[in-house]
Amino acid sequence: MKITKKVIKKLINAAFNSHEDEIGCGKCFDKLNKFAELELKGKSAAEAMPLVEDHLKRCGECREEYEALLEALRAVQG
Amino acid sequence: MLNWFKRRRKDDSSYETNEEWIRGLSAPADEKAVEQLRDKLIRGLKPALHKYVDRELDQFVEDVAQDALLKILDNIDTFRGESKLTTWAMKIAVREGLTELRRKKYDDSSIEDFKYPNDEGRDELTSLTFATELPDPEEATHEQMILRKVLRIINEELTEKQRRAMKALMMQGLSATVVAEQMGTNRNALYKLVHDARLKIKNQLELEGVDPAKLFNN
Repeated sequence: MKITKKVIKKLINAAFNSHEDEIGCGKCFDKLNKFAELELKGKSAAEAMPLVEDHLKRCGECREEYEALLEALRAVQG
Repeated sequence: MLNWFKRRRKDDSSYETNEEWIRGLSAPADEKAVEQLRDKLIRGLKPALHKYVDRELDQFVEDVAQDALLKILDNIDTFRGESKLTTWAMKIAVREGLTELRRKKYDDSSIEDFKYPNDEGRDELTSLTFATELPDPEEATHEQMILRKVLRIINEELTEKQRRAMKALMMQGLSATVVAEQMGTNRNALYKLVHDARLKIKNQLELEGVDPAKLFNN
């Protein structure tokens, strides 16, 4: 299997954007209910919980779950 | 008659506060609380998952709600009250549904085998090494030299597990859910594994004087 230049570039970008204090999927999931409620109340969830926001930008699966959760919560609220 | 009416009213009252929900869902759970939560989960899951499910959405969502309910009842004592209980429960249900869909998508694609056009099956993941199509070092430009440095770090500084995870996620484009299961771990541990690998690459490149601002700007 060959690694392409495009993949290495993506990897270098990901590497240089890495931080020591990133949280993992577990901690993000723990806080996601609170984060989603803040967002739905129109408060700045990203400002209140920056590490969750940071993880959601990095992790496609957590982001997907967050967006689906918002969709579900809007449906049962409305 | 009056007493009967009162009991009916009490039975029909819906669960609202977290305290009511916790009481209703703690063992032995009140059937009405479970039913009310199931209805709510199904109402939320349908619009949240419909774009991922091409057929039998109702059945899929009902199965997901059922599996999620078991997890919610098992873990009700871990709810910390940082949100509405129903928001916490919906979070568990949404993850349950999307995890199932990711597994299913991978299983379907494995059957079609288009993920491995060169007969590179799942078992071979550990034996692969990173290779490059770059030309000889003499011809290398600045950019190519950096790419070579990265390849060297990947091959020499990362652990076999880190290489395996990064290959599966970045080269094969598999979902973290699937890769974690294949590696006998969970998504959180996989994220940490890759995070440590990213930091190692970053620190090593910085040690070697690579400036990210000058990278790939042409």
